[in-house]
Amino acid sequence: MANDIPLSWFLYFAAAAFATGLVGVLLRRNAIAVLMAIEIMLNAANVNLVAFWRYGTPAPGAGPLPGVILALLVITVAAAEVAVGIGLILLCYRRWRAVDVDRYETMSG
Amino acid sequence: MPVNALPMDLRDFLRVAPAVLLSAWGLVVVAADLARYRRRDAESRRLAVGRLTLIGVGLALASAVALFGIDSLAQSDAPRLDRLLGESFASYFSRPDGLIFFGTLASGLPTDVLNVLFLTLLGLVVWTSTAYAFTDDLGEYFALLLWATVGMMLLAASEELATLFIALETMTICLYLASAFEKSKPRSAEAGLKYFIYGSVSSALFLYGLSFVYGLTGTTYFDAIGRVLGRGGHEGLAGNLVGGAALLLMLVGFGFKVAAVPFHMWAPDVYEGAPAPVSAWIATGSKVASFVVMLKVFLHALGPWSNPSNELMGPGWLGVVVVLAAATMTYGNLAALAQRNYKRMLAYSSIAHAGYILVGVAAASVSTAGPEAAGAVLYYLVVYAFANVGAFAVAAWLARDRDGDAIADLDGLARTSPALAVCIVVLMLSLIGVPPFAGFFGKLAIFMEALRQGPSGTRIVLAWLVALGLFNSVVSAFYYVRVLKAMYLREAPSVGGLQRAKSAIAVPIVVATVVVTACGIVPSPLMDLMRAIARPMLTATTLDATAVTDATPAAGATARPRPVAWTTPSRPE
Repeated sequence: MANDIPLSWFLYFAAAAFATGLVGVLLRRNAIAVLMAIEIMLNAANVNLVAFWRYGTPAPGAGPLPGVILALLVITVAAAEVAVGIGLILLCYRRWRAVDVDRYETMSG
Repeated sequence: MPVNALPMDLRDFLRVAPAVLLSAWGLVVVAADLARYRRRDAESRRLAVGRLTLIGVGLALASAVALFGIDSLAQSDAPRLDRLLGESFASYFSRPDGLIFFGTLASGLPTDVLNVLFLTLLGLVVWTSTAYAFTDDLGEYFALLLWATVGMMLLAASEELATLFIALETMTICLYLASAFEKSKPRSAEAGLKYFIYGSVSSALFLYGLSFVYGLTGTTYFDAIGRVLGRGGHEGLAGNLVGGAALLLMLVGFGFKVAAVPFHMWAPDVYEGAPAPVSAWIATGSKVASFVVMLKVFLHALGPWSNPSNELMGPGWLGVVVVLAAATMTYGNLAALAQRNYKRMLAYSSIAHAGYILVGVAAASVSTAGPEAAGAVLYYLVVYAFANVGAFAVAAWLARDRDGDAIADLDGLARTSPALAVCIVVLMLSLIGVPPFAGFFGKLAIFMEALRQGPSGTRIVLAWLVALGLFNSVVSAFYYVRVLKAMYLREAPSVGGLQRAKSAIAVPIVVATVVVTACGIVPSPLMDLMRAIARPMLTATTLDATAVTDATPAAGATARPRPVAWTTPSRPE
């Protein structure tokens, strides 16, 4: 592994991607853009998991589920989440004719 | 790569029988609704699908009770279990580690007790769902309730971070959809989308924190994480930026799930917008499961990081949880005072209750009672869940007859349904925490754990937290009493008042009342049970991991001894 890209590069990249996603969630008003930002956050975590799996040393008694399998599971979950999210956005779009999260304000207090 | 995995045993599927049954039954319900019930008129179809769902819940409950019986027999009377099940099954069920599926899921008494709890609550929620028409997609609705429950049961049983994440997502994705099921109301769709966005952002934050925990410890198993962090010689939390970030991110993730201030913004909107039975299930089932797994993660896996320096504001999660608890109960109670909407008031009240429970989480990590202190939290969760299922059944009643959910809609209920009005009084008193009812003993147990500590830097602060909790209980009385005032001191409207409740609404209210009364008058059986399951729940460990890290003399050649790990007060270190 001497000539590999160092672990820290992966972590910086993941942190940057995560920050991008978080900023997107907080600043974007379009529900679909928010959904995309959430996906970026999940993928940042995936990069972390795979990098740690590649470079880390498993703890004693670490068990058979390493990070790379978790990353695969996260990809599956993310797909399910998108399916549900698009469905909900569509439901709201039919109601308000807008995908702007600020417009959905029937409840407050 | 480590190959010290436990061997996969197909009999493990027997131990998750309730979850397997419920998942399959969800498909049965969808198929039966499509094939048989769809042609009927709305009323009889709703009842038929609801009844079919209840049968499935009953089957799962029966299997959970059977597993509970087997597991308690394995502890108390092993020879009898041998005779009942035969040697091989009996020795399988009395395996001392109690972990199944490569050590990713816990089984045994704690899981069985929690499964029985979830399934009982689910039965009440399903029954409430048949009370009124809020959706045409009945098969899908009930199937989603069942699958959300599968997620809850696996979440409460998970012993490993990947399993935790999958179970958490199973639960919440089903609940996002269920919240949006009342298609005639825009606020339901809005609730679903809001819940989805807040929920998935919190999942992403949690996952990012999880990835750091995995990176720091090299494992995702709670017990192994706890061992690595507690081993010492390892870089501590002080000055450990990544460790601190991981802790905070996971706390934020759980904070969203249990609706702790400042991550509570979704809760009032979702509780108000979702159909009443779904709100009930979000407020009770998902909260119970999230808190159970939060106890496991923070006390078992991240326990060594609670307050390593023994000062409250030193590095560690204890200080943060204390601040969250104080903010959550104060904000929840003060905001609830301003509510006129019954479901919204319950939402803020459940935020406040999350605050009390967080006091318990903080207390359990420093209490001298050890893991058993978490029993107080479990007791509180049971009582809170039953009281809220009853309270949300009232919300279903309001939605059915008044098509609204203002507290004012309850006006004059004491004259039209005096018996149920008394039951609602009992539920509200239990939620306030008035003595003969169980809510009081829940609060008492949590606050006692907070005070039961050795001399340490955290003692004074937790005592103040208890004082704040008592003050908050007094504040909470004001908004719960508003419900009683509406029922007893106001006149019922001359037309369009609440009709007779019928069983779908009356049964959950009565059952909840009976439970909070019984557990209040005789609190010790439930409290003892919860204390007894708290220790194995928070110390579950794989035998092989113990062998690897503790370097015990190799006794592998001899047969594994009869179970002692579940019952003995402490695991040999």
